[in-house]
Amino acid sequence: MSNPADPDDPAHPAAPGVRPFLRNSGPGVRYQQAPPPAPPPGPLSGEQGTSLRPFVLTSGRVDGLDPNIGLETQVSSQPGAHSARLSPEKRAIVHLCGDPLSVAEISARLRMHLGVTRILVGDLRAAGHLDVHVLENDFPDPETIMRVIRGLRSIS
Amino acid sequence: MDFDPYPDRRIVGTARVPSGPQRTAPPVPVKIIVAGGFGVGKTTTVGAISEIAPLTTEAEMTMEGIGVDDPGQASAKTTTTIAMDFGCVTIDQTLKLYLFGTPGQTRFAFMWDDLVRGALGALVVVDTTRIDDCYPAVDYFERAGLPFVVGVNTFNGQLGYNLDEVRWALAVRDDVPIVQFDARFRGSVRDALLVVLDQALDKAMKMRAS
Repeated sequence: MSNPADPDDPAHPAAPGVRPFLRNSGPGVRYQQAPPPAPPPGPLSGEQGTSLRPFVLTSGRVDGLDPNIGLETQVSSQPGAHSARLSPEKRAIVHLCGDPLSVAEISARLRMHLGVTRILVGDLRAAGHLDVHVLENDFPDPETIMRVIRGLRSIS
Repeated sequence: MDFDPYPDRRIVGTARVPSGPQRTAPPVPVKIIVAGGFGVGKTTTVGAISEIAPLTTEAEMTMEGIGVDDPGQASAKTTTTIAMDFGCVTIDQTLKLYLFGTPGQTRFAFMWDDLVRGALGALVVVDTTRIDDCYPAVDYFERAGLPFVVGVNTFNGQLGYNLDEVRWALAVRDDVPIVQFDARFRGSVRDALLVVLDQALDKAMKMRAS
């Protein structure tokens, strides 16, 4: 629970994480509070290029997310898609998804921010590298829920 | 090997292994949200039932004019990072349950829109010594129309208040179940989730009937 990224932690309130040095540079800048102290290197920050300005990987795009790409959405790589010319991050995603994987798992395993992961997955899907298995109905049907109930009941 | 589960699938000559050409179809994912304030046991809840050690993903969130920010300002967008723990339970080869533990503050309400899309329901974990921590989550799920259950986490098997008092403090509708559970034990978490699933089933039946 000492993870500095945990906004629940009252000792470490969630500090704006992106480009803090822009916050108090020069007149007319709206943010006048002291710059947040440099976060101690947590398990997910450290040397990673994704820790400070994650959306560099998406060429600065933060919008245009496909709302159908959810946290639990299953992603698998297209067999035979050539990933050699992709950026390292995209190649890592394609490699990881040989077996279907959820977007949240991709994000966690590659230690890549969720928003970035969703954008890159959307790009890779558009380029034909990934299959994104979007569900048809928004809320599961009763039969599916019954199967979950039976499955959970069998857990002891 | 005295038992061959795939008697008709054999590797002959240079043919590829059975799973090669027919790639595994992805399971249908379903999800339940585990919400609540700081330190109420969300991660413990997820970890108790998940078949994998809970993973953490960080979400970089842009907020516009929520809470402390003045929405009239041109630069009212701020960005913050939140951490979310999650785990999963494989129901069978075609169905997988995901559990997402998420921070409960008001200022993250906007991200819940993404999170609750398609969710079966939510378990709001409550610590009776700090009941008000869960108000934002309860507010949000009520407004979103997402089935939810209030789970009072009984640390050390002790419950500070009885469930009626908790219901009074939360002022939730009578049809919102309030259960007590112990986040450390799989069976206890399973039972709490089953109550969430009952609510979800009700909703699904009503949706089908209408």
